[in-house]
Amino acid sequence: MTAIEQEKKTDIVEKLSSELDASVVLKTDRRLWVTIDSSKVVDTCLKAQQMGFEHLSTISAVDWLEEGRFELVYHLWSYKYNSLLSIKTKIDRNKPSISSINSIWDTYAETCERECHELFGIDFKGNSNLTPLFLEDWKGPPPFLKDFNWREYTLKELYDEENPREKAYFEVKK
Amino acid sequence: MTNKQQKYDVGDFAMFFGPAHPGSGNFSVKVEMRGERVLKATADPGYLHRGFEKLMEYRDPMQNSVLSDRVCVLEPLQWNLVHAEAVDNLMEYDVPERAKYIRVILAELSRIQSHFIWYAVMSLGTGFMTGFNVAMGYRDYILDVFNMITGGRVYPAGYICPGGVRKDLPEKAEKKILAVLDKVDYMRKFASTENLAWMARFKDIGVLTKEEAIKYGATGPILRGCGVAADVRRDDPYEIYDQLDFNIPVYDEGDAFHRFRIGLEEIEESMKIITQAVDRLPKGEVRTPNLKPTVQFRKAKGETYVRNELSRGEGAFYMVATGEKTPYRVKIRGPSFSHMIPILERLLTGVDYADLPAIYWSLYQCPADVDR
Repeated sequence: MTAIEQEKKTDIVEKLSSELDASVVLKTDRRLWVTIDSSKVVDTCLKAQQMGFEHLSTISAVDWLEEGRFELVYHLWSYKYNSLLSIKTKIDRNKPSISSINSIWDTYAETCERECHELFGIDFKGNSNLTPLFLEDWKGPPPFLKDFNWREYTLKELYDEENPREKAYFEVKK
Repeated sequence: MTNKQQKYDVGDFAMFFGPAHPGSGNFSVKVEMRGERVLKATADPGYLHRGFEKLMEYRDPMQNSVLSDRVCVLEPLQWNLVHAEAVDNLMEYDVPERAKYIRVILAELSRIQSHFIWYAVMSLGTGFMTGFNVAMGYRDYILDVFNMITGGRVYPAGYICPGGVRKDLPEKAEKKILAVLDKVDYMRKFASTENLAWMARFKDIGVLTKEEAIKYGATGPILRGCGVAADVRRDDPYEIYDQLDFNIPVYDEGDAFHRFRIGLEEIEESMKIITQAVDRLPKGEVRTPNLKPTVQFRKAKGETYVRNELSRGEGAFYMVATGEKTPYRVKIRGPSFSHMIPILERLLTGVDYADLPAIYWSLYQCPADVDR
């Protein structure tokens, strides 16, 4: 990396930190990380988008069971700076609710949020289209939660212990 | 929403495109129509949801490398590569040079065969069966090379694994790779010839503007077809792409025809990349030395976001490790997720039903990576 490129990199970090009002960290090449408060998510995403982070790569959720919180990560790519900005924010696990960013990325953000809603049960305020995406006729809890034991769930819901053919599955469990 | 019923008249009806349609793949679009005109389209994914993200939380990285094949049937080697890079990144592996070259050669061959399938399904969609048969036939030559190198024609079973690749190239592999490029070139020329049926069906159909493309998260050939020169291989280089010489084809038109032109020109660029990589292929190890057969994933802590340029666009892995044997959380970003849901719904609104297959196939769909 030349000196000029290095200088440019520190510039972006400083500029972003002051614009987003949070400390942006450059962890590895072209990877910027920032942690913000969940109430500021729309504001921060909008500012980042205006600064050139126009491409929403994806939204991912992590279930931190011991901590009792969900972490949402918004990955934004900038065609201008060739850098990825990952915005991280944590919300309460018992009442998971956060503002939708569909005002910025329209139906694409909505679709990503639909996925998070279906698999983690997170509610996105302002997103009117939180209909099921992948799962059909699913009545159980959101399947990607860490405390959801799918092995037990399938045995209970889909297998019959009385049935001699399916009895073996229950024996394996014991 | 409430007065929806009143809006419709006698000529209104709803119908399904897929999942039982011969070329739709495991994906369905519900279209509400008035006469021949599509009023509203709703994508209905989920026919291939296998829950890989959850499955990977229960398996160690070497097992996951086998699973990662299955994310997309049509480009398994490239998905292998993204997964391997995510683990390499977390474990801070120093991948040997030779392995990096082999990875790039296989990823590009995989891109070419995937573009052949694209040509095949687009021909199928326009009733040009010869195109379908020829493209699938020529794809088989590339599958033979995969068979020789990885042991599997379609699924490499985790050939590209964390730390390098599982086995060195067999004898005479380089010669065979270069020989298959002649076949590829023949197919490329066949596909490039002016085809009036194609022009009539694909020109000025399904036009996506640059602003919309960025807003709806388009990547890869779909984005480059709208005039944005973005390619992960150049903007966010991985493996050895920064040392290779290749162009990035871009068109401003944004219609179905030019989206596929990008694909055709990419085949040529991929051939260039493969020739360069085979020429420079260094000797040496193919997997990080002193590495045990399994990955000591307990040493990894932290998170990583790895992006790759797949044949369909940006594919990415977000992986979180907390010092356990298995990853704590894996999130897979498939390129078709944005192409097949928001963009498809947007492009189908207001078109003639007869144009639906043309638009559908020009978006280079892979239902498997939408659902994962």
